[in-house]
Amino acid sequence: MRSPSVSARQGPVLSRQRSQRRVWAKWVETFAKGGAYIILAAGILYVVGFTLWTMWISLTDSTLLPNYAFVGFKHYSRLLQSRVWQVAYINLFVYGVAFVSISCGIGMLLAVLIDQRIRAENLFRTIFLYPMALSFVVTGTVWGWILNPTIGAEHFVRGLGWMEFRFDWIVDRNMAIYTISIAAVWQASGFAMALFLAGLRSLDADLYNAAQIDGASPLRMYVRILIPAIWPIVASVLVILLQLALKTYDLVQAMTAGGPGIATMLPTNVVYDYMFQRGQMGEGSAAAVMLLMSLLIVILPYVVLQQIRRRGQAPNG
Amino acid sequence: MVESRSTGRAGGRFALYAVLVAFAAFYLTPLVVVFLNSFRSLEEITQTSVLGIPHAIRWENWAQAWGSYCIGGICSGISPYMWNSVAIAVPATLLSTLVGALNGYLLSLWRFKGSQIAFGVITFGVFLPAQMKLVPWAITLRALDLSDTVTGLTLIHIVQGMSFTTLFCRNYYVNVPADLINSAKVDGAGFLQIFRRIVLPLSPPILIVTVIWQFTNIWNEYLYGITFSEGSHRPVTAALMAFSANIAQAREYGIESAAVLLAALPTILVYLFGGKYFLRGLTAGAVK
Amino acid sequence: MLASRTGAAAAVIALISVTASAEPRVSVMSQWTAGAEGAALNAFGDLVTKAGAKWENNSVSGFTTDMMNKLRADIIAGHPPAMSQLKGPEIKEWSAIAPTVNLNEIVAEVGYEKMISPDLAKIHKVNGNWVALPLQIYRVNTLFASKKAMDKIGATALPKTWDEFNAMAKKFADAGITPVAHGGLPWADTMDFEIVLAGMSPAAYKKAIMDLDDTALRGPEVLAALTELRQMTKWMNPSNAGQHWSVFLPNLMKGEYGFLMMGGWASGVLKRGQFEEGKDFLCGPTPNNSGKPVFDMNADGLIFWDTKNADYAAGQKIAAKVAMGQEFNRVFTQINGSIPVRSDIDLSDAAYQPCQRDAGANLAGAVAANQVVMSLGHNMAQPNAATAALRDVLTEFVHNNTITPAEAQQRLADAADTVR
Repeated sequence: MRSPSVSARQGPVLSRQRSQRRVWAKWVETFAKGGAYIILAAGILYVVGFTLWTMWISLTDSTLLPNYAFVGFKHYSRLLQSRVWQVAYINLFVYGVAFVSISCGIGMLLAVLIDQRIRAENLFRTIFLYPMALSFVVTGTVWGWILNPTIGAEHFVRGLGWMEFRFDWIVDRNMAIYTISIAAVWQASGFAMALFLAGLRSLDADLYNAAQIDGASPLRMYVRILIPAIWPIVASVLVILLQLALKTYDLVQAMTAGGPGIATMLPTNVVYDYMFQRGQMGEGSAAAVMLLMSLLIVILPYVVLQQIRRRGQAPNG
Repeated sequence: MVESRSTGRAGGRFALYAVLVAFAAFYLTPLVVVFLNSFRSLEEITQTSVLGIPHAIRWENWAQAWGSYCIGGICSGISPYMWNSVAIAVPATLLSTLVGALNGYLLSLWRFKGSQIAFGVITFGVFLPAQMKLVPWAITLRALDLSDTVTGLTLIHIVQGMSFTTLFCRNYYVNVPADLINSAKVDGAGFLQIFRRIVLPLSPPILIVTVIWQFTNIWNEYLYGITFSEGSHRPVTAALMAFSANIAQAREYGIESAAVLLAALPTILVYLFGGKYFLRGLTAGAVK
Repeated sequence: MLASRTGAAAAVIALISVTASAEPRVSVMSQWTAGAEGAALNAFGDLVTKAGAKWENNSVSGFTTDMMNKLRADIIAGHPPAMSQLKGPEIKEWSAIAPTVNLNEIVAEVGYEKMISPDLAKIHKVNGNWVALPLQIYRVNTLFASKKAMDKIGATALPKTWDEFNAMAKKFADAGITPVAHGGLPWADTMDFEIVLAGMSPAAYKKAIMDLDDTALRGPEVLAALTELRQMTKWMNPSNAGQHWSVFLPNLMKGEYGFLMMGGWASGVLKRGQFEEGKDFLCGPTPNNSGKPVFDMNADGLIFWDTKNADYAAGQKIAAKVAMGQEFNRVFTQINGSIPVRSDIDLSDAAYQPCQRDAGANLAGAVAANQVVMSLGHNMAQPNAATAALRDVLTEFVHNNTITPAEAQQRLADAADTVR
């Protein structure tokens, strides 16, 4: 029990300390909030600044180093007329669609299978997920060997006795781009599986029970009810796979070096080739800008869709 | 003909496992190839083929890859570069995650005019190809006087990782109940306080997702690692290139395979042990 | 008072002597991080250290482009290395973006210029000034043949002309052996074309490829070369694409393939794989219709950057002298399997392989006959932009049998138009 005189003396001291602490706390808060805004601004500055810089350089005659004198749109017209760019652009479409759709398909299939309460789930899940941990350079090199007819799969199967077996897509200029898809699907489908599995697991148990009571076969249950229920995750998976597809570069370099001939070149390979190997930074930048522009055309609808959906769903959306 | 339900189900289970094992074989094949090669000598590979089963096990490949292979005049294998990668990847991962969390928190729970656009712009950064940012970064590092330093390279990874980490965190935080935040604001809690007391405790699932994603990407990153680092401070991805990419040389496939597996070990372990948490983090609404 | 003034004077004198004497050191940026190339670079470093300069190895593992990106980043940052690996017309291109060191004095001192091939010297000079030094030469037009395959068709010597080559190739094909081994990377496709053209008409090669002369590009020699190349692609295994050439070495040595056209460095790779020249393979120049030796050259060099640093400047002088010396020429080429830049090195030393000696003699003969050409596929004939434009056409031609030689010639000439 404190003596009244002590508490009377301590009263003003404590309240001064408390108000000092409050001032200090308020200062820290302002500093933190300001700092957060600055960091956000830095991130925005980076994205906007680098993109604008690249756009500017694409309109200059930069070769080995940036050169800021304006020369107009000649790089764009030259690229649009060059065989390599045309091939690469079409390849991106073919490869992108194949990669995204097959990764989604396999990811979904594996997620559904694992969702069936199997034993050794951890083991299977890790086996499907580990490819994401390897670098594309390694993956490309090894798949390049495995898919090569002379030393890889075709050679192996023929050695087992089946002499007519053919699997020479990788050296066929019409089919080679699909082999790139195979390697890319191998690398990323496990990640798609992980996301889908998480989505399925997060569904309400009632949904499962209701579907089972309905008497629907497992297949119908999944296709009609459960998969549509995790549509938001599917959309997110599509975005992540799309950006992976767009940035594919090392895989092509290591697997086919853009060949046979120029049959498996992708836009990022063209960007790298022009910017750094040919010493034509202006033209390489134009290629990068065109890549981003076509990307925006694809993403914009998704973004708008997300806005509409989010406005309806999340509390803070 | 009606099959009894139990055999039908047993048949179904068998088919289920068969499919899973078939896929597992597909996923494991490249790993097996590299693993087998890591025990073969260069002579054997040159005499037979790049794909094959070792005739004689050459354990030295692993020892050389780790500790004695000569890279750039220094003969200590890839082990010094592994530590370099750790020195780069760990701070960059932690800091980019922190930055992403702050950004996501700011964008979702402290709405301001244009926060949607800001989020959109930062997310757009996810799509910027690495090649196009190389020269701007060289110019930026020069302006900041950070050229050829580990700090500079770490800064690059933090800023570039910001796009992903902000995306993940922001989409997670939008599901935090608004009442929780608003009542705290009414109570007089400030920006940092709410973050520490309310938001952070809710974050482990998404933070783990972010950390795993970032670590994998930064550890495997090669282009910036080579261009913006110097000699003995290079990450392990640069050291791996010393085994390949040579027109004129006999490529040391055996030692390279051992080195590749050693370099991939940290990320594979992260997936092995973190995989469970990764899933849990996603389940909790990371990517809704 | 007196003590402090003496002390101050002593301090000033100490300061002057420290700044007056530069400590020679030199930094080198190259791709030569490992294997034989790494070992050769280290040997260079040892020689430079012995000569009195401190050696800083800044090697960058990876593709050439990655090293050039690092160089670019360093130039932007304001501190280029003292020396960096660079070759061919790119030396002239890069010397325009950052200041270089003029080596004329040292070159004159050593009397270097008269010891090396004039075509090679030309590439390392910009506006008449030496800014770079060559380090080693590789013969690109080397023909390797599998002894096992040769035995099977009863052949004992390598073909000397393209007609002989075609005849032997046909014999291989009839015996079930794939005549031409090929990895299928774009630079290798380009290399095969240039070997054929140089073997048919070095004069046409010089005009068409090194000068990008339009008439020559649309002329009969180029068409003949493309036609022969088309025939050759029919003799290649179509499954060989996108692989490093060494991947099919085992098959070549086993006798499943007959010929391999590759640079002289392949003999080093074969040696490392425990294959013996004469026993497992034969090595010589590729077929040549001109009757006099032709040499298709690939040569690595070092460009000397102006670092605005006294230590590096002193070190560069020392390193340059070493690089022009006999010991360096011997040691570097023995480790790498290349041939020396200096014409006065004796290759009968046991450390040289027969294939190297053959290449050395070939070079001497070609210099005398003025039939030295620069390799297109290895970026010696043209700056990278032009090389890439031609390479795109050639690699497509090799891997797409439906493109006729006439079409390819048209595309080749058009490609040259866009980069001239």
